[in-house]
Amino acid sequence: MTPLLLYIVFGAFAAAVIAPLLVRWFGDRASAVLAIVPASVVGIVFFMLGPPPDGLLQATIPWIPSLGIDLSFWVDGLSIIFVLLIAGIGTVVLVYAGAYLHDHRDLGRFLTWIMVFMGAMLGLVTSGNLLTLFLFWELTSISSYFLIGFLHDDAASRKSALQALLITGAGGLSLLAGFILLGSAVGSYELSAILTSGDAFRSSEWYLPGLLLILIGAFTKSAQVPFHFWLPNAMAAPTPVSAYLHSATMVKAGVFMLARLHPVLNGTSEFHVLVGTAGAATMILGAVSAFGQRDLKRLLAYTTVSALGTLVLLLGIGTETAVQAAMVFLLAHALYKGALFLTVGIVDHETGTRDVESLGGLWRMMPMTALAATLAALSMAGLPPMLGFIGKELLYEAKLAAPWAPWTITALGVTANILTVAVAALMTLRTFGGASSSVRTAHDPSWQMWGGVALLASLGFAAGMAADLVATHIVGPATTAIRGERVETSLGLWHGVNPVLLLSLATLASGAALYALHRPIRRMTAGWRPWKAERAYDAALAGMLASARKQTLWLQSGQISTYLALTLLATLLLVGLPILAFWPQLSMVVAMDLALLPTVIAGMMAIAAFLAVRAKTSLGSIIALGVVGYGIAVLFLLYSAPDLAMTQFAVETLSVVLLMLVVAKLPEFRQMGSRSTRLWQAGLAGAGGALMTLLVLFVTAEPARMTLATFYGEASYALANGRNIVNVILVDFRGLDTLGEITVLGIAALGAVALLRLVVDKEDGR
Amino acid sequence: MLTYTDFLLAMPLFSLTVTVLLIIATEAARVGRARFSQFLAITGLLVTSLLAGLNLRESGVAFQGMIATDAASSYLTILLSLAGIVTALVARPYFEHRDAHRGEFYILLLFAIIGMVLMASANDLITLFLGIELMSFCLYVLAGFERTKDKQNESALKYFLLGAFASAFLLYGIALIYGSVGSTNLDAIARAYAGISNQPLFLLGTAMLIVGLGFKVAAVPFHMWAPDVYEGAPTVVTGFMATAGKSAAFAALAIVMIRTFDIGGSTTADVLALLAAASMVLGNVVAIAQTNLKRMLAYSSVAHAGYLLAGVAAGTAEGFAGVFLYLTAYTVTTLGAFAVIGWHERTNDEGTSLDDYVGLSQHQPVIAAVMALYMFSLTGIPPFAGFIGKYYVFMAAVRADLTWLAIVGVLTSAVSAFYYLRVIVMMYFRERDGEHIPLPRIPVMIALGITAALVIVVGVLPSTVLQLFMPAM
Repeated sequence: MTPLLLYIVFGAFAAAVIAPLLVRWFGDRASAVLAIVPASVVGIVFFMLGPPPDGLLQATIPWIPSLGIDLSFWVDGLSIIFVLLIAGIGTVVLVYAGAYLHDHRDLGRFLTWIMVFMGAMLGLVTSGNLLTLFLFWELTSISSYFLIGFLHDDAASRKSALQALLITGAGGLSLLAGFILLGSAVGSYELSAILTSGDAFRSSEWYLPGLLLILIGAFTKSAQVPFHFWLPNAMAAPTPVSAYLHSATMVKAGVFMLARLHPVLNGTSEFHVLVGTAGAATMILGAVSAFGQRDLKRLLAYTTVSALGTLVLLLGIGTETAVQAAMVFLLAHALYKGALFLTVGIVDHETGTRDVESLGGLWRMMPMTALAATLAALSMAGLPPMLGFIGKELLYEAKLAAPWAPWTITALGVTANILTVAVAALMTLRTFGGASSSVRTAHDPSWQMWGGVALLASLGFAAGMAADLVATHIVGPATTAIRGERVETSLGLWHGVNPVLLLSLATLASGAALYALHRPIRRMTAGWRPWKAERAYDAALAGMLASARKQTLWLQSGQISTYLALTLLATLLLVGLPILAFWPQLSMVVAMDLALLPTVIAGMMAIAAFLAVRAKTSLGSIIALGVVGYGIAVLFLLYSAPDLAMTQFAVETLSVVLLMLVVAKLPEFRQMGSRSTRLWQAGLAGAGGALMTLLVLFVTAEPARMTLATFYGEASYALANGRNIVNVILVDFRGLDTLGEITVLGIAALGAVALLRLVVDKEDGR
Repeated sequence: MLTYTDFLLAMPLFSLTVTVLLIIATEAARVGRARFSQFLAITGLLVTSLLAGLNLRESGVAFQGMIATDAASSYLTILLSLAGIVTALVARPYFEHRDAHRGEFYILLLFAIIGMVLMASANDLITLFLGIELMSFCLYVLAGFERTKDKQNESALKYFLLGAFASAFLLYGIALIYGSVGSTNLDAIARAYAGISNQPLFLLGTAMLIVGLGFKVAAVPFHMWAPDVYEGAPTVVTGFMATAGKSAAFAALAIVMIRTFDIGGSTTADVLALLAAASMVLGNVVAIAQTNLKRMLAYSSVAHAGYLLAGVAAGTAEGFAGVFLYLTAYTVTTLGAFAVIGWHERTNDEGTSLDDYVGLSQHQPVIAAVMALYMFSLTGIPPFAGFIGKYYVFMAAVRADLTWLAIVGVLTSAVSAFYYLRVIVMMYFRERDGEHIPLPRIPVMIALGITAALVIVVGVLPSTVLQLFMPAM
């Protein structure tokens, strides 16, 4: 089984790599060649994997054992339904895209990214480990970024690509944070362990934060309120991309995540309220917004938002019927919405416009397309015997039986569906029916394009007719996987006259009435968008950019004195705060019986330091600082450290001489900074000085350690047979140091030779 | 007593020193030209990494406890040598193009690497300080290597003045720690740690150490030098500074904080976590506003210092491993990115702005693809090296009860996607109107090949890399 699973996921990635080559060899037909990959995946799922007996296939390939990350697969009924959608619609879209992007110069790039996307989606739904699942999740965001921005000459296209990436990408990171909480609470990232630990997670303190983070991830991806706005904007993508990503697959990834983690998350009132509310709000908002659109693609995009809301709502209800309804609706929606998006692509391709108002009477010019699109629209409107009808029946049944607020939910659902019926009518009747419009030259495109629409639409029809097969082989296993318990499913077109059927009839009648009145109503609501979440996104983005610029001006002035001041300030905080915290524990020795000479020298140093700051010329500063340095040397001498004193004298002399040489070439101080700047710098310097003084006082309170001196005193004769301690230290105890020093001198000499030769060369004029 | 083992354990250091002496000698005698020095440097670095590779499974303390060799230090020696080799490969075309190719570049480069290796294998605070200073002085000079250019002079001077300041704090911290422990030996400090970890004097020393090392790794609020210096220095030097310099400083920080101090869960860890969060937030947010690629990467390196600090703040063996893995990923990726920038830069230092990269994919598809790879890796997108590093560090933080820090890290990574991907957008999604730039010369291509391959290898086979420096994990 493992090789087949590997092929399902990585076949598409491998194909992505060779896609540009295929374009070179086969031209437009490369997309049809690539379609073999998803088509074979569908074949594998149907004929070789079959419906798994216990709904589960597992395989594990170790990747990073030390972290417990394995490449593990988890293929159950839920995965199968998604694999079928991704690969099946993928096949149709690939064949379609070859004709749609006929002779496009970037066809190779397009095919590469769409295959990467396909592989990522397939990996996402078959993954058996939360972390690999996350990897594939982010990969879908990134590949969709390149697909949305495919027409990159258009600024709007680039902007919406970035918007989609930022929103879904940020959501993905929230999802990762949620996964980490979930994984830490359960102790494993394997789905096998997680799906059986629902109770443990729900009762842990991490449940609520984890749930929220995971929901944000799922909601951004599946365009739920308030993150829904990216989806209509993403319609800037080429139509095959919209059909594939934004109706059938990627936007369903959030729904998939909710379904996948249903056994872990479901069952608390928080889950029902959060998921149910977001779903219901999205459902109604999408439907209302859709009705006012003129652009066919945006119109479909908003109905997709509405459908996603319905799916999320159903999963939020979470009962057996609701989950089952969600799966049927998922299937039905993918089939009809994919078909309708592809239809819009054909209309756009043939007439050059997607504006509902300027289209009409196209059925005469493109009968095959019109027929196929109508079939799809029937499913969308929920007419028997289409799968859409069964989906709607189940949906009403689930909503009526919802454990909380059944009437509100049903009322909202009916309203949304009425609008959907009206939109479906608008989509077909206005475009294909009625009097002919200004468009005269359109005709049916090549079969690669209308064939896909026809195939998807007929599948919706066939699935409605063979509902029982769909129930046992696809919906049943999927529902079983989501519920975590065996569910027997049977679907049928006719259940007798019951409240659900009456609701369906009422929906259709109201939808038809709404369509009849659509002109005046649409005029009233045109462009009406009740929610402006996009403004928050724009504001956040602008704010981030502005604060970044402001920081640069403030802190990154390029002035070294500012940098130094800020570094000093940070040090004061970092070192000063512990001093305050430990104040009672710290002891210091403040001896008052100082000898006269050291006191005088210290006083001189203090005065010199003050003068160095006050000096009007750099020469004055250097001289004053020199006094400070020599003062230190004298202090060393007074406290019996002659070697240190010698070093200090040498270093001090050298630096004064060098500084003088340099200063001679420097201009005088011209700017001294404003009074307030100088005051704040003086304060900072004073605080730094105080800190250093305190530290010295603390250190001197510690008992002195004389171990080294004692050691050399005792060991110099015993170990090295030498009475002159200094000699013994130099050549015996620290012999290696001496060797090092000689080496240093050697290197310095070599450097000097090189430099001298350079000077000689110059004088020779070489 | 010195034994044969001492020398065996310090073999990479000796091979580096011998190489550098050879180069100095040939330069002084003017046997060869700068090209010969480059050849010597690359050969020496290859030998060094080979010797370090032989030491990967050795461990021991040498030279009276001054240095310690183990898998981690040997591994880092290899990584640093690699950074040196890539820098040396890129340096010749870069400087020859600017008429500034001189042999002392390789001398300074190798001395800096000696300092870095010393930092990674320090077993005593004095050795550590020695290594830091050796590295820093070479970097100060390298930052102003083309001494006729004002911008580079400014960069070098700023780096030197602020760096000297930080070194003073570091040394003061070492003195305070010596005052409370009675030894500068890391083993001795580790043994005494449990007893003194709450002593005020020791904590003050630790705070000073954090200031000094925080400056070297360019963590907020000690990061201010980084953008100016990174932008001003020659691009090959910036690349080396940003990768090898940061790696060595973080190795030192990890050795001191995790191995010696065992800070897990302490106040020190909390302070480091705060610095980490500040670095992540500030580095990433400010990077967005940058229009110059070198400056953008400077801020992004501040952000990466934040991610690495998260691993240090975790204070566990996992955090230690995470830091090393992250350093590997960061080093190979950033080196590659700077190699591309150096190639793209014109002799008058123009051509590093983001706008100059518009439409690069049309003229040089291979280079654009490689650059995109680096950007993906820096963002932390799987399956590239950057992801594994981030993942490991954040995981270590979560397991050390620093979940909030991991969440900050993940969120700021989302912010970083904005500016890294913008580079890709520029290269791929816009029409080219700028001039045509010829393909890089062979050495640069080799450097790009090595780094790009490693970005993928580390991302796909992290366990193998991990085994190298953490045999037990």
